[in-house]
Amino acid sequence: MKWQVAVDGRTIQIDSEQLASVIQVEPGVYSVILNGASYEIRLIETSLGLSAEAAGRRFAVEIRDPRDSSRGSRAALGSGRQNVAAPMPGKVVRVLVNVGDAVDAGQGLVVVEAMKMQNEMKAARPGRVIEIRAQAGQTVGAGDTLVVLE
Amino acid sequence: MFGKVLVANRGEIAVRIVRALRESRISSVAVFSDADRGALHVRLADEAEHIGPAPSTESYLRVDRIIEAAKKHGAEAIHPGYGFLSENADFAAACAGAGIVFIGPNPESIRRLGSKTAARILAKQAGAPVVPGSEEPAANIRRARALASEIGYPVLLKAAAGGGGKGVRRVNAENELESAIRDASSEAERAFHNSEIYIEKLIEKPRHIEIQIAGDHYGNLVHLGERECSLQRRYQKIVEECPSPFVARHPEMRAAMGEAALKVARAAGYDNLGTVEFLSDNQGNFYFLEVNTRLQVEHPVTELVTGYDLVQLQLHIAAGEALPFTQKDVAWRGWAMECRVGAEDPDNEFLPSPGKIEQLREPSGPGVRLDSGVYPGWTVPLEYDALLAKLVTWGPDRGAAIQRLRRSLAEYSITGIQTNIGFFLEILDDPQFQAGEISTEFIPDFIARRKPAAEPPPELDVAVALAALSHFQEARKHAARASKVDAGRWLTEGRGQLLR
Repeated sequence: MKWQVAVDGRTIQIDSEQLASVIQVEPGVYSVILNGASYEIRLIETSLGLSAEAAGRRFAVEIRDPRDSSRGSRAALGSGRQNVAAPMPGKVVRVLVNVGDAVDAGQGLVVVEAMKMQNEMKAARPGRVIEIRAQAGQTVGAGDTLVVLE
Repeated sequence: MFGKVLVANRGEIAVRIVRALRESRISSVAVFSDADRGALHVRLADEAEHIGPAPSTESYLRVDRIIEAAKKHGAEAIHPGYGFLSENADFAAACAGAGIVFIGPNPESIRRLGSKTAARILAKQAGAPVVPGSEEPAANIRRARALASEIGYPVLLKAAAGGGGKGVRRVNAENELESAIRDASSEAERAFHNSEIYIEKLIEKPRHIEIQIAGDHYGNLVHLGERECSLQRRYQKIVEECPSPFVARHPEMRAAMGEAALKVARAAGYDNLGTVEFLSDNQGNFYFLEVNTRLQVEHPVTELVTGYDLVQLQLHIAAGEALPFTQKDVAWRGWAMECRVGAEDPDNEFLPSPGKIEQLREPSGPGVRLDSGVYPGWTVPLEYDALLAKLVTWGPDRGAAIQRLRRSLAEYSITGIQTNIGFFLEILDDPQFQAGEISTEFIPDFIARRKPAAEPPPELDVAVALAALSHFQEARKHAARASKVDAGRWLTEGRGQLLR
């Protein structure tokens, strides 16, 4: 059987017979011997899908099941609205903008503290603040929207 | 010697101290917050006591609870590690008041050296060179303006009670001063409950070189040479080494800096281990910066090169023993280098990355030392700093230490959270770093000129795809087996219902 695996978006064709070169050596850890070269690959399931680590690099992996052809590509990123989200859990220290403010690309919007470091969440593109969901002192989770820009 | 010691800290340093205690056949008492019930230091210690909720202000910074825990467990002494209460003179005094030995210098010398402004005055009077700067904290913005223009821009703002880079800001010109003061003092207030800021001359491309000192209760004081800690990001050290590549080229500096450090220590009545930090310019002029009146994070590089166990030394001195060696016994052999492995994402502005460690492969082999505070399955809490472990290597010379560090970083694998392991590999491959051409501006400069990672070789993609597919089929097999078991249970349950 032929499989398609997307590794960081690059499509790799795999024949089932090739799986003979793989063994699981520890839970989630695989040893692969390919053309005489030895690789160790670590796999974990994250909220964003399957993730692999090998040779100090990280890869996003997607298995395309040959029996399931319905899967399409992910929706493209919207270009109008911009949700600025907390990339990690933490505590909001300060909100640096107000609703209605025009902001430049790279301008600081909210300061979030985690692991004793204060980090400024910045605008990726220029825009206008249309909503502020973060409040100083509030605890936020990874992925929580802090500010919405337009 | 003590029979039982409480370790008032967490993470890798608590593990380090528990190990030293066990080597000396001293019982260890760990303390832990709600977030650290399952932490490695708690698992390794002989005894353990809960001291409060996750925020450190309600646990690891609670003097009353820590002293109470020590009394309850019958600990004769407390080792504070670094950070938290380690440089808190009131805590040291409270220990003494409770009849418990504080493993560190006497409260009076902590007090003399704890405020950076006071330490500067003391160092200057003792005859150590100091950076031009304000001798009192900037009380208000008008005073700050006057001080800064007298010193001359660029200037550096620093928290009077600070450490670890909190409350530090560079100010290039007067129009940046006001907002920088505001930021620095609010950060200092949060970190140290003291918003005082002082101002000093900024030395361009300085090296951070520090001297390890050791003193006992009988007036003996020695220095154990220098460490260079110029590689810093946001004033946090990330790579440290002993010797300093700069001092190695200017060997007379070690004795000169050592002598200056001992002058400061003598003036402060210092009587345990400590570190005197200096800034050095590219001419070899050095200036007193501050004293850290505690064990330093990067102490292992000194241990590997001098052969002394600094934590054991602290224990013996605190127990009233004399220093077991003199200055002429101290010798330096080979080279050691340390990386501070942290839960942060170098590809995303070094944002912290707390969370669960899924898999862990730790390096070992010749010349490798790993001081770690984590294990697979451990959830790295978001309440504390991002340091997971210190990877330290030793080699006969700097090149060999670097090769061992590269090799062991490549062996090191942590999944589930982001770490800076790959970033260290990039630094170690940098020709400028390898030549020892470093300063505290090296890291910001390196980040600015950092190249995006090259595409992986195609075979690696295939290997990843094969492993992923294998993993996928494994998971599917498990799922099928699990649903069969479930179906069995459903049937049994159903039959049971019918029989009723």
